[in-house]
Amino acid sequence: MKKTLIKFLLITGLFSVSGNIYSHHAFTAEFDAKAPVNLTGKIVKVEWINPHAWVHVEVIEGLKKTIWMVEGGTPNTLVRNGLTKQTLVPGTVIVVRGYQSKGKLCTPRCRANGRDVTFPDGSKVFMGSSGTGAPRDGADPREPKR
Amino acid sequence: MNKIILLTITFFYSILLTSDDNFSKKTWFGDPNLQGTWTNQSLTSLERPDEIENLIISDKDAARYAYYYQQFLEQADGEFEVGEQIQASNDPGGYNVEWMDPGTKLLRINNEYRSSVITYPEDGQLPRKLFRWALEIPPTVYKMFVKADHPEERSLGERCIVGFGSSGGPPMLNVLYNNNYQIIQSPGYVVILVEMNHDARVIRIDREHNPDSMKPWLGDSVGYWEGDTLVVKTRNIHPQQQFRAGIRHQILISEQALIEERFTRTSKEEILYKFKVDDTKFYNEHWEGEISLRETEGKIYEYACHEGNYAMENILAGARAEEKN
Repeated sequence: MKKTLIKFLLITGLFSVSGNIYSHHAFTAEFDAKAPVNLTGKIVKVEWINPHAWVHVEVIEGLKKTIWMVEGGTPNTLVRNGLTKQTLVPGTVIVVRGYQSKGKLCTPRCRANGRDVTFPDGSKVFMGSSGTGAPRDGADPREPKR
Repeated sequence: MNKIILLTITFFYSILLTSDDNFSKKTWFGDPNLQGTWTNQSLTSLERPDEIENLIISDKDAARYAYYYQQFLEQADGEFEVGEQIQASNDPGGYNVEWMDPGTKLLRINNEYRSSVITYPEDGQLPRKLFRWALEIPPTVYKMFVKADHPEERSLGERCIVGFGSSGGPPMLNVLYNNNYQIIQSPGYVVILVEMNHDARVIRIDREHNPDSMKPWLGDSVGYWEGDTLVVKTRNIHPQQQFRAGIRHQILISEQALIEERFTRTSKEEILYKFKVDDTKFYNEHWEGEISLRETEGKIYEYACHEGNYAMENILAGARAEEKN
């Protein structure tokens, strides 16, 4: 039964988190899978805009300061999951694991996708559909009100 | 005595306020009331997986699907250890689960879980004309992934024109995120504001279709009331909206397609949404589906897509960078 269920989820695309194919934009068209980035820095600005939120992070390497723009999920989902402007404030240190954009001119900013964004202790910055951030989808009337 | 009467009235009034039927069933101008903010998110996809024979799934199996989905999410979320560095890869996945918001449960209608949105044909599969699909899809997909000489070559979603995967419809299908709709009514009109991408379907009530030469985004929709059910008929779909692809489904809808949708408010919390697609260019017969639109909290977050669309710039810049290699 477990095999059938997992196959069901694979077929329905639910086990695919790549998002490579037909979401708002194709990952492969925009980002370089051969250019991983591992960034740690302070948030300097968050753009709460659709189709995707962008977090600006100041990364210091030696004497060099670089501002990276990191692409996150759609703000609609983040807001509905309880992540607000008050949660993600400038000055907060985050760790980003992702991939740089194919265009690497870094003008005006270096850009990367945020494959995995956490606080330094490993806890999630963006709460997805798992753990305590499970969204209310309205299907279950017993779900607690926020 | 007066106190008893007052308490009795208060008691029944409080029951009325807490009952499921506590909503205005009619608008101020007398039409059935569909207004509100709704979501169609669910784990159920358009077509039925081959392993599942029936449309209806038991509560036990539905709970198992949801459980394994949660397990999968936790594994995907926990891919990296604290301090671990991400590496170069041929297929890095790209996004973790925070990007996705398909809901946590299967589609449920009439207290029964569903294995597919499609209700007809009975096997839950699109009745594709395979040779037509073979002709139409490869060049479209090639263009989506390879061509990036100018913005007009890219997909409608990337261009912030309409959402991907037919989220704006018709038919309005659930995708991996932004599955929210707001319905607003005024005398003679029903407007469906689709969260992705800020699409607004304006349905004219008791009116004729526009001339065939007019092919707007989301098609030309007119409607009428059949009892408490809003019946919407759409034709003259924009030719560039032919291929509608999401991660979980891909459909073709031609300019000649006729689409009928039926919206029935079954309770304060639900609108039952039924649709029928009649498109002889791409399908051997018509196909039908059902989705539950459930009341959701809050308002739709503004979809200022053009303002926030760094993706197009990055895609075009990426293509130029690749040309130099």
